Parts: sequence; structure tokens; C-alpha cells
Amino acid sequence: MSSSPTPAGIPPPSAPQVAVVSAAGNLSAAVYREAKALNPNIFPHSLPARVLIKPNLCDLVAWENGVTTDPAWLAILASELRSIRPDVQIAVIESDAIGAYKTYRSCDETYERLGYTDAARNAGVKLINLSRAPSFDIRVPELPLAVTIPEIFLQEFFFVSVANLKVHPYERMTGILKNSLGLLPAADISHYHPYLATVISALHRLCPPDLCIIDGRIGLEGKGPIQGDPVRTNTIIFSNDALAADLTACRLMTIAPQTVPHLRQTLKHLARGYHEFAIAGELRPRKFTFDQQQLHPEILAKFHNRRLHRELEIFTNRWISRFFRFKQQPIAFLSGAIPKLTRRVYGSR
Amino acid sequence: MALARLRIGVVGAGPVAEKYHLGAIRGVPEVLAEYIVDVDGQRAEKFATRNGFRRYGVSHQELIGAVDMAIVALPNHLHAPVSIDLLSQGIHVLCEKPMARTPAECQTMIDAAERSGVFLAIGHNRRFRDHLRLVKNLYDRGYIGEISEIQAEEGSAADWQRSAAYFDPQRSGGGSLMDVGIHAIDLIRWIAGEFQEVQYTGDHTPTVVESEAEMSFRMENGATGKVIASRSRELAQRLLIRGTQGFMEAGLWSDMLRVRSERGKASRHFQHLEAYVSHRPPADSSFVDQLLNLVRAIRGQEPLAVDGKAGMGAVDVVCRAYGHKPAAATAPSLEPLASSS
Repeated sequence: MSSSPTPAGIPPPSAPQVAVVSAAGNLSAAVYREAKALNPNIFPHSLPARVLIKPNLCDLVAWENGVTTDPAWLAILASELRSIRPDVQIAVIESDAIGAYKTYRSCDETYERLGYTDAARNAGVKLINLSRAPSFDIRVPELPLAVTIPEIFLQEFFFVSVANLKVHPYERMTGILKNSLGLLPAADISHYHPYLATVISALHRLCPPDLCIIDGRIGLEGKGPIQGDPVRTNTIIFSNDALAADLTACRLMTIAPQTVPHLRQTLKHLARGYHEFAIAGELRPRKFTFDQQQLHPEILAKFHNRRLHRELEIFTNRWISRFFRFKQQPIAFLSGAIPKLTRRVYGSR
Repeated sequence: MALARLRIGVVGAGPVAEKYHLGAIRGVPEVLAEYIVDVDGQRAEKFATRNGFRRYGVSHQELIGAVDMAIVALPNHLHAPVSIDLLSQGIHVLCEKPMARTPAECQTMIDAAERSGVFLAIGHNRRFRDHLRLVKNLYDRGYIGEISEIQAEEGSAADWQRSAAYFDPQRSGGGSLMDVGIHAIDLIRWIAGEFQEVQYTGDHTPTVVESEAEMSFRMENGATGKVIASRSRELAQRLLIRGTQGFMEAGLWSDMLRVRSERGKASRHFQHLEAYVSHRPPADSSFVDQLLNLVRAIRGQEPLAVDGKAGMGAVDVVCRAYGHKPAAATAPSLEPLASSS
């Protein structure tokens, strides 16, 4: 389970490691300190000038229902992080979204109605709506769509991801990695759904969290990730690695991580195994139920079908365009195509 | 209160106006297509009828009093005299690149605009392309550190039919470097600052401008580089900027942008990011944004992005590369209005 422990028994700070603490009821700084006592290597010892916190605010549902992140985390994190660097600038990041309880919701409204505006004011933390921040499109290998990412990804910052413990119909579970989908500035991201695992894996590589917290005091089972039933696990997972945190969450929910597409794909991309991390603290697994109407294999099969159609469309459209360009202006087409082909075969000029 | 629409006139009904500026006029509802002029009256009439211009004519003088702003899309030697005439009569001008043949001509255009208190914008439309704006933003934020090397190349054999003025050194002021390379030169000045030393090689003759040009340079910030421009062969159409902490490679025709930095969250796992702006019709909206910028500048809503000084800066670099001696500003003479580009 553990990876090359140090002589003192604690793995080196760079190794993926997890601390699990028990917590029920209202949040207090004590849980953070308890986790820190279990394994101080998980937590930062120094900080850059900026810290960004990404909660899970996927819909307008209060945190007690297990759907969104408790705003009380802001005060705790602000206080703990400022004890390391008093002048650190802390901001919360989230985007507009399409939800289940409100078709379109602005992130600013979500901040306001879920208590983040007040919590941020009290903690001296800034709130950023990524849908209104500068962004640009990137090409991701294996993905036929552009992915719009915030320009903020090109800056240096310490990234804290605070997720919930929930089941998900397509991805089986949502934790830290899936929480990164909220970094996409677009409100409607449904066109990414057939490529969810690829997008999540890319987002993890683009913006890997430095501190991961899965607040499982109240999880969500059944019809997750929004309309499910709250379930108390009274557990909070801390980690310095998103994969380790999510794999621990899988154990807690008794979900085989091999059945979680984005975990499988990210582990493959980073050439890592399912057990390459160490856990401090006691984990008490509890089986999370799934809504029987949302059949995981059926949804995945439909996504495969959509992917296949999309790829066929792109392939055929490309050749249709070439054919008509050639038919219209054969010399102009060839004078452009031949050097391009030559460059592709023999390299740049 | 709604602002009145600005009446726009176009001088020159050639391919540049039709292929690029017409789409921009349609894409900016704040302007009203009022007047099109061309020495070829039939061409002007055809252009006006087909494209919804209310009036047409054969001389740019007809625009005076009839329009608020004008686009000058003529052969290079007519940019200065026509623009000066219009500017002097209080008409805001968007002049195609290159601004003029020499810095002296450019200066007289700037003076005319200042005297009349109107805007003179230069058609360096690439500055309005989203991916190149991103290059500028990222560089300004220090994403690749200090620039050490710049390479730009642009060239193609397939192009539209050009008038004889394009190949005549007297009328065009230069060949592929003045016509094609000036885009890259403007972008480099915009992103990285002023050129210090320039060296040019090309295949020009005393009577015909070059079709192949190569300009090596050193910037004031110490960066070195090369601009290659061609009208006879297909080049990579790219701008490569290497910095002390990364690089950016941008397409000059495509909206490709590849970035790499030693800094930033995204650089930990990605060798480089293939950034680009998705194609939406019209694929290149830079001409729309360019015209909109001038409209907004006239209305006092935003500063003018590419003014006469920026246009003159690019012309000055090309003229220094050609080895022109700086001449005192003289008023350019208005030759008979030749058939537009």
C-alpha cells in the first residue's frame, strides 16, 4: 500500500499520502489540525503568493444535503494557510453551470445563496467567477473538441480542492478529480460528457491540486451527484494527491476504482498504480447505493456510440471539404496541400 | 440616447475591399454602407449594387461631406495622398497596410489627422486576432520570460491577381517585405518593442520589387531574429517567439498557438499547450474587430488600437531594411487615381 517510507515511518513529502479523520456536525479547525498531526507531510510548509480554493458548487443545494461544499471551509483554510504565510492572497474559484434544480445558474448567484459571499468576506477571501475571467481554447490529445481553460492555469498558485463524497451515474463516483470540471469556464459542458474521463484527466494534468480535501461528513448516494440521498460517513479525507484522495474515497464508498473511468484513465496517463499511496488514520467503509434507473453500462455504451459518430463525422467532413476544395480550385488546393504534406512527412521545411 | 450610425465610404473596389472590408462593414451594425468609389466607374457601380452601398463614384473627393469615415484600400502609393485629402476634410480614415511607402509620407498623414482632430487607423488587422492577442497578453505577463529570439515566416504562391502597381518599386515602395512581411514586423513591434538593427536580403531588381525577402534583426531588448516573406513559395505562416522561460509559436494564417513555459500550473504535466481559438463563421473576425475599434474610438468608447504612429513604425523598419535614407517629410503628390488593388 505504501510507497518507500522514510526511516521514521512517514513517506517522503512528495509521495502521495492520505490522512483520514473522523468528524461529525459543524466543522472546526480541529479536524484540519488532527489530520496535520496524523501526517504533516500532506500539508504545505511554504506557500506561493496566491492560493486558489475550488469547492464543489455544482448546484443551488445547501451543503447539509451532501451536494455542495460547506462554506465553513473558507475560514478554516484561510486561517491555517495564513499561519504559514500571512500575506498570502486567497481566492475561491468556480464557474457558471447548468444544474438540476435551476437550469442555468450564475456562479455569482451560487456564491451569494450558498453563503460563500458572507464566508469569503469574513475570511478575507476573494471570490472569482471563472466564467467571467479570461480564458482560451486548447487542443487535448484524444479529444475531438477544444477545451476552454482559464488563463489562470498559466500562473503559479497553490491549489486546494475541496470536494464532496458522491456517486455519479457516468463516472461511478465524484471526488477531487471530477471537482475540476468546475474549472471549465463554460456553463454548459454536456458536450464533453462522452469524453468525460479524457477531459477530467486533462484537467488534472493542467491544474493538479496541491491539497485535496474530501468532506465526507455527509456523502451522497442513490441519484448523485445532485438529486441523491444524504448519507453520514463522518469522515474527512486529506491528501496531497488527487488520485490518492479519490482512490481512498472509492474504498470508503466500496466502489472498485477500476470501474471509475476517469480514475482509470488518469492513472494510465500518469503511469501510476491503484495502490501507490499511504493512508494514516482509520477508514470505515460504507457501501453507497446507486440509483438503479441510471444504468452505468448503458450510459457508457451510449457515450461510446456518440464518440464513434463524432469521429466518423469529423473524418468524413474533412475528406468532403478536401474533395470540394480540390474540385473548385485544383491548382490552389494542390499548391497548398503538397507543401503541407511534405512538411508532415519530412518535418518543418 | 442611441448613437447615430456612422456613414462609411470605401475608396477602391478591388479584391482587398471585397474580400476583407466588405465583411467587416456587414459585421459592424454601427456603420452604414454609404459610398464606394473606384477609378473604374463600372466596377464601383457593380460593387455598390451587389453589396448594398447607397452611392458610388469615381473620385475619393466625392466622399467629402457625404461620409463620416472611410476605408482606403488602394495601391500603396495612393495611401498617403488620398488619406490626407480625406483626413483634411474631417473624415476618419482606416488606411490599409502598409500605411505608406516611406516614414515621411506616414508623418504627413499623421500631421493631417492631428490638424483635423480625426482618427487615422492603420489596417494591421492581425493585432485583432484572438490568438495573437493571447500571445501579447502572455508575454506581457512574463509567461515566457524575456524574449531571446523571434522568427516569422509568411509566404504563398497562390494569391489573387495583383495590379502592376504591386511590382513597381516606385508605386509600391517595396515587395514581399513591404506587402507581406510588414504584418509580422508590426506584430513583433507590438509584442516585443522596437527594432534596433535590421539587415535585408532579397531578389529585387532596379525595376521590379522582390518576391523573396529575408530580414535579420536585433531588437532594442537584445532579442535577435529573422522575418522571411515570400510571394513565390509556400512557407510555414508562423511566428515563433522564444523566451528565457519558454516559447510561443503562433499561426499567422491559422489560429494555432503552441505555448510552453517553465512556469505555471499547466506546465507541470504538459510538454506544451496547443492553444487556439475555435473557427466560427466568419473564421477571421479581425477585420470586423478592427473596424469596430475605429468606430468605438470615434465615439470615445475605447482607445484606437493601431494608430498612425504604429503604422509608421512598421514602415520605418521596412525602409531601414531596404536601406532608405530618412528623408524630410514632404507632402506627397496626388497622381491620377490608379485602378485599386
